[in-house]
Amino acid sequence: MMSTATNDDVMIRLEGLTKRYPGQQSNAVDALDLDIRRGEVVVLVGPSGCGKTTTMKMINRIIEPTDGRILLDGEDVTGTDADQLRRRIGYVIQQIGLFPHMTIGENIATVPKLLGWDKPRIAARVDELLTMVGMAPEEYRGRYPKQLSGGQQQRIGVARALGADPAVLLMDEPFGAIDPITRDRLQNELLRLQNEVRKTIVFVTHDIDEAIKLGDRIAILQEGSRIAQYDTPEQILTAPANDFVSDFIGRGASLKRLNLTHVADIELRDWPTVSASTDADTALAQLRSVPESALLVLDAGGRPVRWVGADDLHRAAGRPLDQVGLATNPAVEPRATLSDALNELITARFSVTIVVDDDGEFLGVVDIDQITDAIRDMRASAVSQARAGLQEQT
Amino acid sequence: MDFLEFLAKRSDDMVELGLEHAAVVGISVLLAAVIGVTLGVLTYQRQRPRELVLAATGAMLTVPSFALFILLLGVFGLGWTPVVVALTMYGLMPIVRNTVAGLNSVDPAVVESARGMGLTRWQRLLRIELPLAWPVIITGIRVTTLVLLGIAAIGYIVNGPGYGELIFTGLHRVGTPVAVNLVLAGTLGVIILAIVYDLVFYAVRHLTTSRGVR
Repeated sequence: MMSTATNDDVMIRLEGLTKRYPGQQSNAVDALDLDIRRGEVVVLVGPSGCGKTTTMKMINRIIEPTDGRILLDGEDVTGTDADQLRRRIGYVIQQIGLFPHMTIGENIATVPKLLGWDKPRIAARVDELLTMVGMAPEEYRGRYPKQLSGGQQQRIGVARALGADPAVLLMDEPFGAIDPITRDRLQNELLRLQNEVRKTIVFVTHDIDEAIKLGDRIAILQEGSRIAQYDTPEQILTAPANDFVSDFIGRGASLKRLNLTHVADIELRDWPTVSASTDADTALAQLRSVPESALLVLDAGGRPVRWVGADDLHRAAGRPLDQVGLATNPAVEPRATLSDALNELITARFSVTIVVDDDGEFLGVVDIDQITDAIRDMRASAVSQARAGLQEQT
Repeated sequence: MDFLEFLAKRSDDMVELGLEHAAVVGISVLLAAVIGVTLGVLTYQRQRPRELVLAATGAMLTVPSFALFILLLGVFGLGWTPVVVALTMYGLMPIVRNTVAGLNSVDPAVVESARGMGLTRWQRLLRIELPLAWPVIITGIRVTTLVLLGIAAIGYIVNGPGYGELIFTGLHRVGTPVAVNLVLAGTLGVIILAIVYDLVFYAVRHLTTSRGVR
């Protein structure tokens, strides 16, 4: 089933991992087998009490397993020196836990210092990491944790965990205590960061939407940390393995799937455009030659500004085109998800969402047909993958 | 003879006794701090030993000082030694209690993240827990110092050093005009020392506490 991963691909392998607390009837984690591939973000998600946090904390042995083995990059680390092991694994927790008596710079330098790096190397690393998490080094390295907001503190928490460039990062509901707007931003930053650093990340959350957004692969866990389904977000949304998974995903699986595809992934539709300096008669002639009911007016920089229809052009009376017609709705950028595009589309004029590049220049539009096509494609590929798995097993 | 003239006449005595008094208290506080912080560190995570140590050091405080000095006389003879031993015993309780309270007040998330980064038990204690508990610990040491400054005066009954000499001489001459001056001078000396020590502790606390937790 998971045999497609060769040993080289596996960064973390859990074998029969078990945690039993004295005086409790059932195991908190019960003989869990899990392979986590190098460079992937694996999200452990499940209802509270399912054992997901316990599972994660056994990887760096903050909680010692009762039974089973942990292999890190092929090496059995179940019985090695725990402190040495932890220096190889970044660790981020919900409560952040920055050292309040140390500056931001000293916090980030913690593990490099433990590993005996020399001072210039540590200083350079601190500045590099601060820049990476979007905080100006000269402004922040000398500050103390209490002088930062919660969101900034967790950025430092992530930077500190990356201190000595560990291959593996463990994150225990890192954004759980942060307001929704900042959480969304931090999630996006984590994705951007992961694009640069390609760590193997084990991420624990109880929020399925967060799991879908961040995970390359999601493990949905039931009580005792038993795996209900371990698969890509696409597969989990399109082909939930059982009722537990469907219930856990909840309503709106199709809408959630739209979060998985980005505007850049689909082909944009064209739309007739006209420059703002064009006169009304020329524009009218152009409008007659296309099936659409309006033209999109672009300014000198190629940025969309107005919609103009036939009536607007008739009544233009010599005014430039960017002063007639209707203002355009907010546009989306290619890295936006189809969910974002659909959201704009619902309120947009002419039922299309305008797509622009980083500089605001017009790229094309998205309409409802493209979104339904994208959903159909996703379903088709999920079904064929599921059927391929079927053949493998027989 | 009024009090100021008395002080002027005995100024050499005042300074010499003051230095002795400050020294005997200083030594005792230092010993109590080393022993007390050690006891606190050893027991703060374990309930039974912690309660035992707090009960034992608390019990020492309830022994009347007169009695304790006389009991120690048999073992250590006269002079500085019995006084230092008695004062150290009296000084333990506030220091142990504040060490335990300070260490237990460190945010568990901070300790967990320190563990998660691979700091050893010893490194966590020295670099994280003790520095964070330090403001509470030094407050305990300061309280101990103030308590011991008073008790030290009674050490004169075993020939101990310090302002006790003036106070007890006054006691022997009750009824004579000089008696009140002697007792007043001894008391004034102790109060001045208390103020000086307090200022020292304020400065030390300020200098040894990170700006991040001030």
